[in-house]
Amino acid sequence: MFQLSLLRQFARLSIYSASIVNARTICTTSVVQFKMTEPLCAEPMKKKKKMDPAIIRAREERRRKKLEKQIRRLQKNERQLKPIDEIEVPLNLLDEIGKRKRPTVSHSAEVLEARALLQKEWTRYKRNEYINNVAQVDRIMAAQRRALEKLYEESEELYDEAVMPDLSLIPFTINGPVATPPIKNYESPDGDYIDVSKKWEN
Amino acid sequence: MVFNRLIFSEFHLCQRIFSRGLKLKPAWDITTGICVERLPVVTPPLNDIQKKYKELLYTIEIENSLKSDHEIRKDNDIIQAKQLKESIDVDYDTVSKITAQDFEDSSAEELGKFQFADIITEADKKGIKNTVDRCLQKHLVLVTSLKFGSDMKQVLPQGLWKEGETLRQTAERVLAQHCGPDLKVQFLSNAPCGFHKYKYPAEIDGKIGAKVFFYYANYRSGKVSEQVKHTWLTRSELEDALPIRYNKSVQQFLIEENI
Repeated sequence: MFQLSLLRQFARLSIYSASIVNARTICTTSVVQFKMTEPLCAEPMKKKKKMDPAIIRAREERRRKKLEKQIRRLQKNERQLKPIDEIEVPLNLLDEIGKRKRPTVSHSAEVLEARALLQKEWTRYKRNEYINNVAQVDRIMAAQRRALEKLYEESEELYDEAVMPDLSLIPFTINGPVATPPIKNYESPDGDYIDVSKKWEN
Repeated sequence: MVFNRLIFSEFHLCQRIFSRGLKLKPAWDITTGICVERLPVVTPPLNDIQKKYKELLYTIEIENSLKSDHEIRKDNDIIQAKQLKESIDVDYDTVSKITAQDFEDSSAEELGKFQFADIITEADKKGIKNTVDRCLQKHLVLVTSLKFGSDMKQVLPQGLWKEGETLRQTAERVLAQHCGPDLKVQFLSNAPCGFHKYKYPAEIDGKIGAKVFFYYANYRSGKVSEQVKHTWLTRSELEDALPIRYNKSVQQFLIEENI
């Protein structure tokens, strides 16, 4: 009785109202809201069916055989990987390699010198090109930064809108440039489409 | 170093906010200019050093390569022809009827028959400048003539910003109004890529000039409407057509061409 009245006093403090508290709980300290599931009582044992031991053995045997078969199959295919045609050198090429070799050419010192010079000149050319490209990107970026700064001076709202990413650009695709211009109204000749990709089955 | 940069940017920001605070109503018109560029359709021609180096790479590659099936066939043909001449008994069934040389000839003939499109287009020959179908190897920029006060000037399509729209929307609207709905372009950013300002000869509605924010777009398809006087110009032609200061601002954000 005393406890109940005390509980009622603290009822507002606890998360659950005291009425939920299991009637079985008896405690002398404040209520902790741990709950236990009801214990399951035992039920009578089922009567075991009597089976022919021979049938059980046969069943076991069958199961083991099935498993063994699977293991064997897995072991057989263990190191067999799907071949990649592009990487494997065709056998007929390996056979004919002697026939396919070109006569080795020995260049005169002048030709070698000219080649080395051209290589050096090319390297210098590419370096200049690279420096130009970087400078160009810098210049274009600086132009944009200046434009944005000027925009900020004009209006902060417009600036905020302008620096938003444009999501419609993703994914971005672009074609060309190509080696020869497209022919207008060109109808490409019909052909057969033959799918030569191999089918691999397990 | 990092601290220094931080301080610097902070200072910069303060300065900007301060200068904004001091200024009264903007006395400039805000306008957008749209730079519509047609990218090159065809790769530019190789210059001397590129040609030379390409040739070198080709020869080195051939030197290091193995013979192809076709070359083997050609070699076999020569051997067989020799055997035929010396009338060693040859199994005639194995002698191929079509030699490698025949195949080469027929291929060359087929190639000769095929007509590639000319890089120099009809418009190039006639000197027509108001079509994208010209100077296929170069970048082209759309230039229109606009009325400024009393005189016409060649500039990029340009228009006034209206209250309530973003500059990107202004750019899209101005382009559609100015060049017709047929022209399809793709804008590449919400941000302007360049800036230009000029003063009016006399104040108009209390505005002393205009600030132009350039937007960059790539040409996709369609045509500029016929009523608008327009040209598609290469870099060097831009230099001649645009006003000098304006051209300088425009060239700031364009990719330089050296052909």
